Amino acid sequence: MSNQKYFAARAALIAAALGAFSIGLPSAAAEKPSQKAQANAAEFARGARLWAENCNRCHNMRDPKDYRDEQWRPVIAHMRVRAGLSGDQAHAILRFLQESN
Amino acid sequence: MELSNATFARTLIAAGMLLVLPDSAAIADDGLGLLKREVNELRKELAEVKAELKQQRKQAASKDEVSVVENKVARVERQHGDWKDTNSTLHVAGYADIGYADAQNSTGSFNQARFNPIFHFLYKDLLLLEAEAETGISSTGSTEFNLEYATMDLFLTDNITVFGGKFLSPMGYFRQNLHPSWINKFPSAPIGFGHDGAAPEAGVGAGVRGGFGVGARSQLNYALYIGNGPELASDGSELDGVKSGGFTRDADGKKVIGGRLGIVPIPHLEFGVSAGGGKTSVTKDEGSGTAIVGDAARDYTVLGADFAYQRKQLDLRGEYIQQRVGDASASVAPRGGTWKTWYVQAAYRLLPTKWEGVLRYGDFDSPHDVQDQQQWGVGMNYLFGPNLIAKLGYEFNQGQSGTVADDNRLLLQFSYGF
Ligand code: HEC
Repeated sequence: MSNQKYFAARAALIAAALGAFSIGLPSAAAEKPSQKAQANAAEFARGARLWAENCNRCHNMRDPKDYRDEQWRPVIAHMRVRAGLSGDQAHAILRFLQESN
Repeated sequence: MELSNATFARTLIAAGMLLVLPDSAAIADDGLGLLKREVNELRKELAEVKAELKQQRKQAASKDEVSVVENKVARVERQHGDWKDTNSTLHVAGYADIGYADAQNSTGSFNQARFNPIFHFLYKDLLLLEAEAETGISSTGSTEFNLEYATMDLFLTDNITVFGGKFLSPMGYFRQNLHPSWINKFPSAPIGFGHDGAAPEAGVGAGVRGGFGVGARSQLNYALYIGNGPELASDGSELDGVKSGGFTRDADGKKVIGGRLGIVPIPHLEFGVSAGGGKTSVTKDEGSGTAIVGDAARDYTVLGADFAYQRKQLDLRGEYIQQRVGDASASVAPRGGTWKTWYVQAAYRLLPTKWEGVLRYGDFDSPHDVQDQQQWGVGMNYLFGPNLIAKLGYEFNQGQSGTVADDNRLLLQFSYGF
């Protein structure tokens, strides 16, 4: 992956896109997104921001595509310890990575 | 398919009804003719529908075929679920590097071939076992093996992780967070941050660590531990150095307590302070290699401060750390001393290329003047990827003249964090 800027931009874009979705579009659909789906979208957006803010503090930003979903689980547990993240923050970052790989 | 089935059924019923109609005289001749024509047309239609149905049957998958596909889908789903939701997950990460060094007054050599796998076992979201097995080739050709760390992290609450085992020293920053070669932006560690330097390397013990989000963007992180503490090496009647690689014995009988508090006031800016203290004692004479038993326990303290800042292509960081050993009149090496070091480093990505320039300055001060050193490091890296990096560095070293500490070095390194 080319550079950190690209990552930050992609994260911001995804976050922005999700934000727009959860506020603006539901009326077009027959059913409103469930509360759970909205919570997931919010966590994803939060994860994207936390990832962009935290994951290049010590080393170059790693590509979400570096690992499969289940591989990110122990890696993020490892990074939670290293980076001193709360469980809640680590969980949001994990969701972001698992949905961006 | 549904539609033609319905048509087919309707046609059948109509045909049946017509065929069983009574041959009554009441029906006029032309009426009969009409009926016959209609029956013939219906027969034709029926034949066509039959043919169409046959054709469709041919094209449609058989029940058996469908069930084979269904089974396959179920198997893939099961396998995928296996990956995702197991209680225990194993993952192997780590890093490997190769290198070349050419120092003044010595012959250049390919001086590095290391393979450091890190095993992660995650049990649910409760426990992480992290262990790094550092292996490398020594200058004499033997294989060196070092259990760099083997730590259990129990995620107790959202903000508290209890850990224990052998761990990289929670005091200071470089050893813990920056030493792997795919992370370190220069081919060598800053002076005083290697083995037997000023920065504590590892601990054996237990502790708590974690972090909190504070407000929208700020964070606090902490680590606090208790451990066996380091041991000392003497050289005759003088202290030679602090051995902080981690021991499963506690020769002086008194524990060391230490930790670090980190503050991230805004994203990409971090400050940390580290402190620790306890007792230590001499256990080895470095000159003769003999073990020393029952030497006097003496004070041991650690103090450190670190910062890191990233903005756009710039990565700026620095750290100060010192280990102080007190006097002990009853010891084989009575006089204490302080090992201290600091460095600052700036790395700059030359976007849009994959090149990165690095500049580093460090100053290491030990109780032995012969170990003292100042160093400028200038480097150029090529990033094949965020975790695949080729490094070229030049160290301008200043130490006591005539010692290796005074020899400049050219370094090449290629590192892969996997
Ligand atoms: C406080 C410093 C620090 C921060 C912040 C940090 N990392 Fe790391 N990361 C490390 C270190 C150190 C290693 C290498 C581990 C080792 O060699 O023991 C590493 C290794 C990794 C690896 C390689 C696999 C592994 O687990 O060893 C990945 C992937 C990774 N980090 C991703 C991330 C992500 C994603 C984040 C954001 C949540 C993050 N890192 C934040 C220090 C950090």
